[in-house]
Parts: sequence; structure tokens; C-alpha cells
Amino acid sequence: MMTKRTETLKQRQDKRFINKETQTAAKYLRRVKELSGAPDGMEPFYNTLERIYVDMDYADSGTYSHTVGTYCVMTPPELIYAAGAMPVKLCSGNYTAFSVGDDIAPRDACPLVKAVAGFKQTGLMPVYEDCSLMVVPITCDCKKKIAGMLSDKCDLMTLHVPASRNDEDIEEFTAQLYDLIERLENATGNAITYESLSDAFRTVGYAQYELSEFIRLKKQMPYLIRGSHSMAILNAASYMTAADWGKALHRVNGSLKKRIAEKKTVTSKKLPRILLTGSPIVFPNVKIPLLIEETGGIVAGDETCMGERGMWDPAVITDNSFDGMMNALANRALRPCPCPTFADNSQRIYRIKQLIKENQIQGVIYHVLRGCLVYDFEYKRIEDELGKLGIPVIRLESDYNEEDIEQLRIRIEAFIELIKLKQEPEKITAARRSF
Amino acid sequence: MDKRTRQDSFDKEYTDSLNKLYRENSGLAGFKWFLDAAHRWAYRPVEHDVVILGAAVPEELVIASGAEPHWFIGGSLGSTEWSDELVPRDTDPVSRSILGYINRPGIDCSDAMFIIPLTNDSMRKIAYILKSEGRKIFTVDIPPDRSDKHAVKKYAKQMEQMCAAISAHTGSAVTRRSAAAAMKLVSGARAALCRFLEVSRGRTDIITDSARAFVQNSYYMTASVGEWTHRLEELSNEVEYYALRTKNKERRRPGVMLAGSPVLFPNYKIPFLIRDAGLAVYDTADYITLRSMVIYNSETLHGSRSRLIESIASQWCRYDASSSYVKNDVMYEYISYIIQRGNTEGVVFHVLKGQIEYDFELERIEAMLSERGIPVFRLETDYQYQDVEQLRIRMEAFSEMLVQNRIRKVKRAS
Repeated sequence: MMTKRTETLKQRQDKRFINKETQTAAKYLRRVKELSGAPDGMEPFYNTLERIYVDMDYADSGTYSHTVGTYCVMTPPELIYAAGAMPVKLCSGNYTAFSVGDDIAPRDACPLVKAVAGFKQTGLMPVYEDCSLMVVPITCDCKKKIAGMLSDKCDLMTLHVPASRNDEDIEEFTAQLYDLIERLENATGNAITYESLSDAFRTVGYAQYELSEFIRLKKQMPYLIRGSHSMAILNAASYMTAADWGKALHRVNGSLKKRIAEKKTVTSKKLPRILLTGSPIVFPNVKIPLLIEETGGIVAGDETCMGERGMWDPAVITDNSFDGMMNALANRALRPCPCPTFADNSQRIYRIKQLIKENQIQGVIYHVLRGCLVYDFEYKRIEDELGKLGIPVIRLESDYNEEDIEQLRIRIEAFIELIKLKQEPEKITAARRSF
Repeated sequence: MDKRTRQDSFDKEYTDSLNKLYRENSGLAGFKWFLDAAHRWAYRPVEHDVVILGAAVPEELVIASGAEPHWFIGGSLGSTEWSDELVPRDTDPVSRSILGYINRPGIDCSDAMFIIPLTNDSMRKIAYILKSEGRKIFTVDIPPDRSDKHAVKKYAKQMEQMCAAISAHTGSAVTRRSAAAAMKLVSGARAALCRFLEVSRGRTDIITDSARAFVQNSYYMTASVGEWTHRLEELSNEVEYYALRTKNKERRRPGVMLAGSPVLFPNYKIPFLIRDAGLAVYDTADYITLRSMVIYNSETLHGSRSRLIESIASQWCRYDASSSYVKNDVMYEYISYIIQRGNTEGVVFHVLKGQIEYDFELERIEAMLSERGIPVFRLETDYQYQDVEQLRIRMEAFSEMLVQNRIRKVKRAS
């Protein structure tokens, strides 16, 4: 039983936590907003991030009666929508929650997992507390163990992500998705039917279509949108329904099309075009894209699971039956995914090479969150492969705190300078129209 | 570091540990065979063997497929130097050491087949490295959640596939008879190990803790499981003989349980330190020890080939205490059982740097032990020897605390 004194202490701690958490989130949101060249229609995304992290409110689930927490990109959102619930991605980038989680999770655990543990421990983050079920795909050791810890605090289901992706693995994963249906139905009280699943495919498909359009526009013309703005859009997808997010993205796409027609870009200068890959960049931990863009580069490509990778691949239905749809979901979750959880992940190299080509990338920043061993393991191979192409790469290791910002700034600045030196000098011609 | 220096540092660590073990236990005639076996293993060619990385695969199926398993379970600082450039800085020393053994100059593993249980992130990525090098590998994907109703089925299916892959490598198929014979053989070895651990328990005056751990590890360095079992029975008889005839001179040492990451030969700084600090390891709670308790009874040895494979898979899934599970209830319950049995005055929880799964498990174990008033000493280290003196000071302080606890208990009782 809590005494009056400990109760006051707890209240004071909670208040401090809320203050620090909201201040950090507000600061990073403001820095993203302050970057020049944001397209029209960004408000819904900013408002969502503000609602979740600054106002500390529940996710706006609209007509959906429940929310289901998910981690990683392997949980099919279609199944959750079909059960009448809204998926909320709970991977966290919060510094304050990280510092709480630091006392709970082992020292060498990755900061993302520590932040999740921190939020769950404080019980102060509505999006975490509101979940009727959490679905944790086991993609790394930290996720595996945090699932064990979280299962004591909430209803949780794990998904065994196989190390390879052959037909048998897909079949086994499909069987797990059938188990997930059962759990979702129990958690929400709604049955998943052929119709509800088809509707969910359409809902998610619309958002994916808008995203593919967004990616197509970005590729078409360099410097059309800043990477930090693009990341804010993609991070907001975690807390918006697919329909709302798709609608909001449609407006941004319209604005980008207008820019192309008017030949407007975010800058008149020829900025080094950077591809960001490696460990996920989760709001509010957007210090790396912000540093890149504040020090004179532009994040032109993003190969992280909280970025384009998260929603890019649509499910391909080759058989119109219920089973066919389930197979399509399992295939989509595993086959195209370049997550380093897979033992053989050669396709990530092809994906990076493809992004380099399509986005005219001049340098790659490989982001490694401290303790994220799976990404660290793949660095060497990627460095070798990109070395053959003459693309410079740097490995940036960081944590969820602001202490390393100046160190990171120096390294990023030097990297950008290096690319600029390689670049042909800009020709000063007629003034370009820019923001 | 050049090739010669690396080889020298490996040899030195290996022979130093063997010599120290011999010096401390020279009175036991039967112990020498195990030292010789370990020495032979270090320079044994791998060639066409079936190599198991780690100890998380049922070797009975490898034996049933007509192969003598060749294990690389890690444990050597010297071998980590052959893999330093291949893995990230934060990789755990066990995985580094395993990869080092594979890349050791003079030991040709190019024709070997590697069985890789994907127990953690490092093993998953090591599998990728070996595959990229064009080596023949088979990965065993361990279902991480025991509550998954398909877990045993998935594991059994993989065991079937593993048997097929090894059979293709050895040219010898797994039959009902070969599977039953292999199950019987390993059950005999595990039963002998259980007996040895029981008869030597607390008798540090006859056989040291490090020697007990070494005998256990030597299973993974043997070329013949049958001979190892026979020699172990002889050693157990010898220990039992002395135990019946001599009074335990060292019973004053506080008894501790060594839990967490398994201590693997030749890096025995922890058991050596425990002894130096005046403690005795009464029990060990790691997944390798618990594996020795998977013994098949006569009923399980009957049935069709697939039934035998299923029963192996089911036993392994049920009793595997490795940290590759979402919740390691088997380990938790085992530790709880050992504590209930008595004699444990403290727990040394060994965590190798980078093996965070053990650290995650510690929280729950610590809470249970604190309820029962058992102090826990979390000891984090790697395979380097630079921290020995620091660890010694901490271990001595822990030992002193256990002695004081004893005195307090006696005073309270009187």
C-alpha cells in the first residue's frame, strides 16, 4: 500500500516525466516545422505527432472501437483493421522514456526497447495504455526479451519471424496469422470475415497507393521535399488510421505535383544527397535527419523500417479466397522485407543500390542505435558493396540522448564536406526559383 | 597481431588452463583422460565433419545420421582474435570465439557441414557470414515462444530436415534403429554426467569446481561419446570412493550457485576466482547443465522413426533452458528448485558482455531470490583477463558477505 509520502513522490516523478517528455517532443517538432520548404498539407501529420507526444493524448481511432499495439513491420495492419481496431506502432524514440527504461532493461539493450519499457513502466503514455492487445514480432534478441517483460503487464502475442523466407516459412507464418485472427477477435469482440478483410485491404491499399505516389514524386525531381518532412509524414502513420493518413498524404502529393509543374524546389543550391539507412529513426529521435539537413545536406532516400520500408510493399492477392488473402499478407510481411532479422539478407544490398540509383544518392549514412547488433553486423558488407560503387559511407552510432549531438554534427559536417569536394562546382546561371 | 602471435596466444590460454586443472586435481587418476581428450580436440582436424555451433541442437540426431559431432561452443579468448575483423565490436565473446575456431589457420573446415541453431542475433548473422563464404550450412530456427501451439511441430519438422541434410552429407540415412541407438547413447552419457555432478557436489577437496565444469565441457570435445561415458563412470566411481573414505575438509566454504552464461573451457577465470575467494560451487544453472537432464526413458525409445524424432523435439522444446525464449521458465523453475533443495547461500550470476538475454532474465530471478533472502552477485565480464583483479576484489567481498550471513544465522539460532 502506498503511503501519502510515496504517493506524492510518485506524483512528482510523473509530473517531471511528463514535463520532460513533452518538452523534448515539442522541441523536435518545432525544429522539423522550422525547416524551410515544407509542402502544403503537412498540418495533419504535425498535429498527430503533437497530439501523441506533446499533448499525450490517445490516438484518434475514428470509428474503430479498439487499438492494437504493433512493433516492427511484420504485423499486417489489414488484419487489425478487419477486426475493427486501429493498429498503433509502439516502437519509440523518446529520450525521457529511454532514461526510465534504462533502469529496467539491461544496460546494453537497444534504446528503442528501453524507451518502450520506460513508457510501459510509467503507465503515462495513453497510446500504450489504450491497447487491447500488443503484437510483437520477434525480430531481435531485445524484442524477444521485451515481449516477455511486457506480457506480464498486458495482453500480448508474439509472432515468430522465421530466419529464412522459403515457401514452408511462409506457410508457417500464415498459420501464425490465423492464430492472430483468433487473438484479435477475442480482444476486440469482432469477427474477421471475408468482407471485413477485403475492406481492410482496400483501406490499407489506398494509403499504400498514396505512399507509392509520394515516393514516385520524390524520385522524379531532386530537392522536391526535405527528408525530415518526409520522415515526419511517415512517423505520423504510426498514430493515424490508414484512411486519414492516405487522405492527408494525397494533399501533400498534390502540393508536390504543383511544385514539379512550377519547377520549385526546397533549395536553389546543389546539396549533397544522402541516403539514411540502418536502425529506425523514430520520432522524437530525429536528430540525425535534422543534423544532416541543418548542416547542408538533404536526406533524399530513407531505407529504415519507420520510413518508406514500413508501408511501401502492397500485398499481392493472387487468389481471391480468404486463404489467398492470408497468404498474400504473409508473403508481403516476409518476402520483400530487408530487415536484418533474416539470416540471408542480400536483398537489402540490392534495395540500397536501387535507392542510390533512383534518388541520385551521393553518400550513405548508416545509423546504428547502440546495442542494435543486427544492423551493425550488416554494415561491413554494405560498406564493401558501396565501396565498389564509389559511394562514401559513414557509420553513425547514437543513443537516445542529446549528449552526442555535437559529436554527430562534426562527423556529419565532415561527411557532407567530403561529398561537396567530390561534387562538380555549381555553375552560377540564372537565378532558380526556390523557397 | 600476426598469425604466429595469435596461434601462440590461443595455445597459451589453452595449455595454461589444462595445466592449472591438472595441478589442482592431480590426485585423481581418472581425470587425466579428460585433459588429454581436450588437448587432442584442440588440434583435431575438422575435414568432412558435421560441426555444431553452440550446444542448442540435439546431437542424438547428428549421431543417428552417421556422424560424430564436432562442436564449437566458444570459450576461448585466443580464438576470438581470428574473428575480430569479421564481427561488430559489441558481439558477444561466445559467438566471436565460435567464428574464430572456424577461421583458425591450419584447421580446414571447408568441407565440413555446419549446423547452426539460431539462438540469438549473432548466430543468425554468423550463419549469413558462413553462407556468403560458400560453406555448407543448415540453420535451426528455434521457435522463441513455448506457448505457441505450433512450436513443437515446427521444431520437429526442422529436426526432420536437419536429419535429411546431414544424411546427404554423410551418405547415411537416419533409421528407427539408428535414432533409438543414438538416443540410448546420449541418454547414457547424460545420466553418467548427472551422477558425476551429484557425487562430486560440494567435494571441492576431491575435485575442484573448475574441474567439475571442465568434465562437463569435455563432452563437447570428445571424439567418442561412448568412451567419454565409460571414462566418466570410472571417474565418478573414483570420486565416490574418496568421498566415502575422507572427511570433507572444505565444507566451511560458503556454497554458491553459478548461473547465467555458461562458463566454457578454456576461459575458466570465473571458477578459478570463485575458488580463490573461498567459495564452493554447489550447483550450476546454465542451459548446458540442464541439457544433461534430458534423458529418454525406455518408453520413448520405441515407435517409428518419425515418432522418435518427434519425441526428441518435444523433450528439447520442453526442457531447453537457453535464453533463446521469450520467457525462460525452465531456468527460473530450476533455480527455484535448487534454492528449495538448500545449501545455496548465494548466487553468482555470470553475464558475458553482449549476451543481454541473460541480463533480461536476471530481473525475474533476482526478485525470486530476494524473496528467499539469497544474495545475488551479478558478474559481468568477457574473455579478456585484464579484469581479473577487479573481479577478485568483488568476489572476495561477496564471499565475506556470505560468511557474515552464516555467522549471523548461527547467532540468531543460538
